[in-house]
Amino acid sequence: MGEKRRMENHLAGKKEKGKTFFDLSRRKFLKLTAMAGLSVGAMGIQQPSKASPSQSSTGFGNKAKGKWIPTSCLNCTARCGIMVKVVNGNAIQIKGNRSSLISEGQICPRGHIGLQVLYDPERILSPLKRTQTKKGKGISPQWQPITWDQALEEITKKLRSLQESQKPHHLLIFSGLNSRSHEDLLFRFAEAFGTPNLVSGEGLELESEKAGIWMADGHFDLCAYDLDQTNYILSFGADLIESSPPVARWLRKWGRLRREKPIRTKIVEIQPRFSLTAAKSDEWIPIKAGTDAALAMAIAHVIIQEGLFDQKFIREWTHGFEAYRQIVLRDYAPEKVSKLTGIPSETIIRVAEEFGRTRPALAISGKGATAWPGGSFTSYAIHCLNALVGSIDAPGGLLYEEPPAYRPFPNLPRDEVAKRGLEQPPLDLHGTENFLAARIVTNQVPKSILEGKPYPIEMAIGFNSNLNMVAPGCKQWEEALQKIPFYVHVAPFISEMAEYADLVLPATTFLEEWGYDHSTPGAGFVEVRLKQPVVKPMGNSKPIGDILFHLVEKLPGGVRSAFKDIGESTAGFVRYRTSSLVPWEEFLKSGVWRGPDYQYGKYARIFQTPSRKFEFVSGNLRVLQMKKGRNTGEEKIAPHYSEVKWAGDEGQYPLLLFPYQPLLTFGNGSQNYPWAQEIFLPMQGVGWVSPAEINPETAKSLKVKDRDEVWIESPFGKIKTYVKVSEGIQPGMVCIPWGQGHTSYGKWQKGIGCNPNEVMGIDFDSISGQSAFFNTRVKVYKA
Amino acid sequence: MAKWGMVIDLDKCVGCQACLVACKEENNVPHGSPEEQKSRRDIFWHKMIAVTSGKYPHVRVEVIPMPCMQCDHPPCVTVCPAKATFKREDGIVVQYFRRCIGCKYCMVACPYGARSFNYKVQETKPYHRQDDPPDRKSWEPWPFPTRTQGVVEKCTFCFHRIDQGLKEGKKIGIEVVPACVESCPSQARIFGDLEDPQSPVSRILASRASFRLREDLHTLPKVIYLSRS
Ligand code: SF4
Ligand code: SF4
Ligand code: SF4
Repeated sequence: MGEKRRMENHLAGKKEKGKTFFDLSRRKFLKLTAMAGLSVGAMGIQQPSKASPSQSSTGFGNKAKGKWIPTSCLNCTARCGIMVKVVNGNAIQIKGNRSSLISEGQICPRGHIGLQVLYDPERILSPLKRTQTKKGKGISPQWQPITWDQALEEITKKLRSLQESQKPHHLLIFSGLNSRSHEDLLFRFAEAFGTPNLVSGEGLELESEKAGIWMADGHFDLCAYDLDQTNYILSFGADLIESSPPVARWLRKWGRLRREKPIRTKIVEIQPRFSLTAAKSDEWIPIKAGTDAALAMAIAHVIIQEGLFDQKFIREWTHGFEAYRQIVLRDYAPEKVSKLTGIPSETIIRVAEEFGRTRPALAISGKGATAWPGGSFTSYAIHCLNALVGSIDAPGGLLYEEPPAYRPFPNLPRDEVAKRGLEQPPLDLHGTENFLAARIVTNQVPKSILEGKPYPIEMAIGFNSNLNMVAPGCKQWEEALQKIPFYVHVAPFISEMAEYADLVLPATTFLEEWGYDHSTPGAGFVEVRLKQPVVKPMGNSKPIGDILFHLVEKLPGGVRSAFKDIGESTAGFVRYRTSSLVPWEEFLKSGVWRGPDYQYGKYARIFQTPSRKFEFVSGNLRVLQMKKGRNTGEEKIAPHYSEVKWAGDEGQYPLLLFPYQPLLTFGNGSQNYPWAQEIFLPMQGVGWVSPAEINPETAKSLKVKDRDEVWIESPFGKIKTYVKVSEGIQPGMVCIPWGQGHTSYGKWQKGIGCNPNEVMGIDFDSISGQSAFFNTRVKVYKA
Repeated sequence: MAKWGMVIDLDKCVGCQACLVACKEENNVPHGSPEEQKSRRDIFWHKMIAVTSGKYPHVRVEVIPMPCMQCDHPPCVTVCPAKATFKREDGIVVQYFRRCIGCKYCMVACPYGARSFNYKVQETKPYHRQDDPPDRKSWEPWPFPTRTQGVVEKCTFCFHRIDQGLKEGKKIGIEVVPACVESCPSQARIFGDLEDPQSPVSRILASRASFRLREDLHTLPKVIYLSRS
């Protein structure tokens, strides 16, 4: 009897050959069905609610009529089209906008949580000024409310002085999760002001995945997937239904992949941890952490050896196949790779054959496989599997999504100060010797600030960023933030990063502002969503767009004129930029504009490589290396596996720290939302916590039990949490979810759980500048 | 008379818990707190359980979204001394808050842990729904916009939606479904009339292997799961 069948019988209470599968007594069932299965461990909770419980029995009409307004969600980078129901000026319900086809009108649970974002009782509603001169973790800034005029005056005074002293590049701008329209305005502002230092958190996400794709075909971007037609998915640590962008698209398409196609798509999840995605997949292949590249190459080995590859595509549209073939056949035999990855060679061969024989098939890489030093080559190796089976720009395969053609900005007025500022080397050192192909190296920034190199930073403005929480090595960020002489934080909440600000400006949430948005690549076709205010801005909060339009008013000519003729206000700007796509009235009504259907097989123009073909040996990388006077030979610019460089000595730190991203905190800087908190970890059936999960074997060797309080210590620090013993974790690993461990604001998040980034080492993928997240060793001992 | 039932396809379900949040949003079910979760006093009309079996690397976890099972033989109704809990003609098991004396017998009797007790006076939130509750003339007091302390509550199959939809002549199960069904991004849930062999619920049940939770107890749940294989 299959495991699945047994599980269902047992859930149904059916007997199996005289015995139940395991004795599921009523008590046990009830225990399982109670949400709180575990002790909550090390958490100090803030003071009890200040809001007095009130039971108003009047005032609500039984038949209060509401209105549904289309707008766009911003709880993660998917930026789904949503409808918000507004009654008596209050937003009371959110659902997907059926006209948005990225996720077929569906949204993830976080979409609904937008209501608790908007009505978070701890939002800041007026500009705040720091009165405490000392900055540091745990030091209260002693905020004092000031007026918008005062705040903007202080900021523009400082900005003007940077311009006057011809040092516009000493301004650093951070951009967190913002609408595309706000991102575009920030970009315009930075360019007009003259700073090359507009830093996003993207260097912490999927840059190595993008670089791997770029090495092969010249696209430095994520690919889209033709999920309606694919029949086989090999996921390398992608956690497709928890943290693979665009999230809601994956949630919707999963239903289609399973039961809404003529052929049920087989899904194989490869990663060391038995994630929710692994549980919902057809097969889970636990792999030794950091060896995904070797596995991808071994799969290629089998496919090539057995002649299962797409001969026509390889012959006509690829370059360097022979060299790749030799490397793959020489170095990556399944038996050899089996030792590296811990996966039986029969499994490797079987999966490779399935992948090679099922058409169309997709290989997908995720953060778990690529956020490593050398991660670009892992992504490259995985990407090559798609080429082998002809899944490039083909039905059921990888798609190349182009961004929407918004109406361009008018030319920037010429400004000598700005021009010289922009010519300065960037603070994150992208494109330099250290990070050859990088576009953004987020985690290099604090180091540059601390060293004052290539120049000192005199002022920074952060828009919805929270880097000292989400980047590896939080301490480095804390020190860097302390060192910035003047820091302005713009956000609806006092995040960990805001604690270091000299001024805080209250931004609106996404439900109170104008904007346009489109998802990260995913669907193939493009779609733009209108973001419109569904309720009035709370208190004195202002949209980021409005703040920028106000700011430039008081700045010298060049910057001011850069904001002329682009609509004069945030709403006007949105109208200006989308006028090339859709008439305004129509956009207001539907909230969604969609581009033409995807065209497959554009081979003659999609490959941006020296050979104008898909390259198994990267000409793009060779060109860059030559420019820097380096030549490393073919093997080093073809996909390959290299052994992981661990942070921490194995003897002293025997375990691997392997954090993971639950859906309910994906892409989100804050967690002050009880609806998300109470159901945070569905696989464990608990909320409000972040346990350290370890295999029973590991627990035994460490002499710790379930629910024991422990320290997780690395060479870089230690954090405290409690142990959850779990069969779904590979022995020798410690798995902790991301998203908790907040030290700032909000009684529903502050002091709850721990943040694995605090004990993580700082390391990069040298090609893309991607931060490494998984190569830190730790030890675990009783607290 | 229709008999309303819900089918949840565990093969399509992604365990995202949108159903849990949408239920709270629809029915103003209060959110909990760390303390309430520890003492199991947080209220869920819809919850999710994870059932684990096997040893590494052959582990399996089945996550199961659970509204009230809407039993056709509901033990909660049998034990209620105040007749506060009863089964409507269309099979939906509901709760008269005015009659509930808070004895919690039903909570003990329910084999699925579907019921919650209102331990405290709940806060009113700006996002609480004030529209379209069931007909107040017969149902006051009702959990929205305010709740009643000291009574037991549970999932209602969103009967207010169904009743309203029927009044407006809408097709139940197609145009009108409970909030959890509407919000399910993978479209793993179907709602409809189990008595009507042509309804989508009946049709899919005829074509796939299905099971109910704890069939051995003969509670005859009207929430039916489709197996993964
Ligand atoms: S699941 Fe529990 S509460 Fe629901 S009808 Fe059955 S016994 Fe009653
Ligand atoms: S049917 Fe309605 S009340 Fe019941 S779980 Fe679903 S949303 Fe909640
Ligand atoms: S909303 Fe749908 S997919 Fe998500 S957990 Fe609920 S039933 Fe499963």
